[in-house]
Amino acid sequence: MSAKPYDSAAKYFDLFRAGDMRRWGQSQQALFKNLKGKVLYIGIGTGQEIVNFPPQLDITAVDLSYEMLRRSDKRVQNYDGKIKRCQMDAQTTAFADNSFDSILTVCVLCSVKHPVPCLQELKRVLKPEGELLMFEHVLSHNPIYALILKSMSHITEYLEGTYLDRDTVSNVEKAGFKIHSHQNIYLDIVKALIARH
Amino acid sequence: MNLKIADFFIATFTGGFVALVVFLFHPTNMALAMVQGGLIGMAIVLPLKLLLMPIFGAFEVAIPLGIIGMGVGMTAGMLSAIPDISGYTVIAWGDCAGLLVAIIIYDSNKHLTQS
Repeated sequence: MSAKPYDSAAKYFDLFRAGDMRRWGQSQQALFKNLKGKVLYIGIGTGQEIVNFPPQLDITAVDLSYEMLRRSDKRVQNYDGKIKRCQMDAQTTAFADNSFDSILTVCVLCSVKHPVPCLQELKRVLKPEGELLMFEHVLSHNPIYALILKSMSHITEYLEGTYLDRDTVSNVEKAGFKIHSHQNIYLDIVKALIARH
Repeated sequence: MNLKIADFFIATFTGGFVALVVFLFHPTNMALAMVQGGLIGMAIVLPLKLLLMPIFGAFEVAIPLGIIGMGVGMTAGMLSAIPDISGYTVIAWGDCAGLLVAIIIYDSNKHLTQS
């Protein structure tokens, strides 16, 4: 997977996501309360979600794009806890099996080319008693909303490498996880999910 | 401004704006006007989405505007094809339809996020 589109999008990433961050702050805070122990944060981007993290976490954050990581500097420094950053592909991480107590993805599974192998990789590095927390947008079951998302997906794919037509809940189960908690944040499109081994 | 309140204003404004532009094309044949209106509506909401999404949130803008673009465009086109209809009537229809879409989505969201 190439980092180039994300390097290019990094410049405008904060602008694109500003409205979402205003909408989703409280919901993210509620989900992130479940983070515990050693945390793997997949797709830190420019670090917009860091402000919603509870303090004193031990976080390893990865992103494919160097430009995104560079732009997260200030937010990482301001966080009241530990954040170590690595440039890495979520589909082939360099971590040992059973390394993390919690794994967090925020709008990542809509961007990776092959979501199921990526989730299988996350399952490998997650401890057996660990939890996978996801704040993701998915394809709606409502045919009207789904039609709009599918038509928009071509544009977002071009602009920021994001697919709006992913069935993430089903992909999570295909990867061998069990959905523990499932909450709709906006319609049945934006979801907060917790999955276990 | 509360973002949930903004959703209603955006939908109402977009509905009215789509209806106005469709009306300005002065369609005469009702069937053609419907198709033309739908296409014009979809074309108008695309730049509006790109403009509003960074401020008001991607999905909260994309979903209602997607429905309004085609739905209001088509119906406003058909209305505009009625002889002697006033532009104000068509715009008022667009505003009402936009607001209605926002209300339905608000209600649908409330239902889905509480279940």
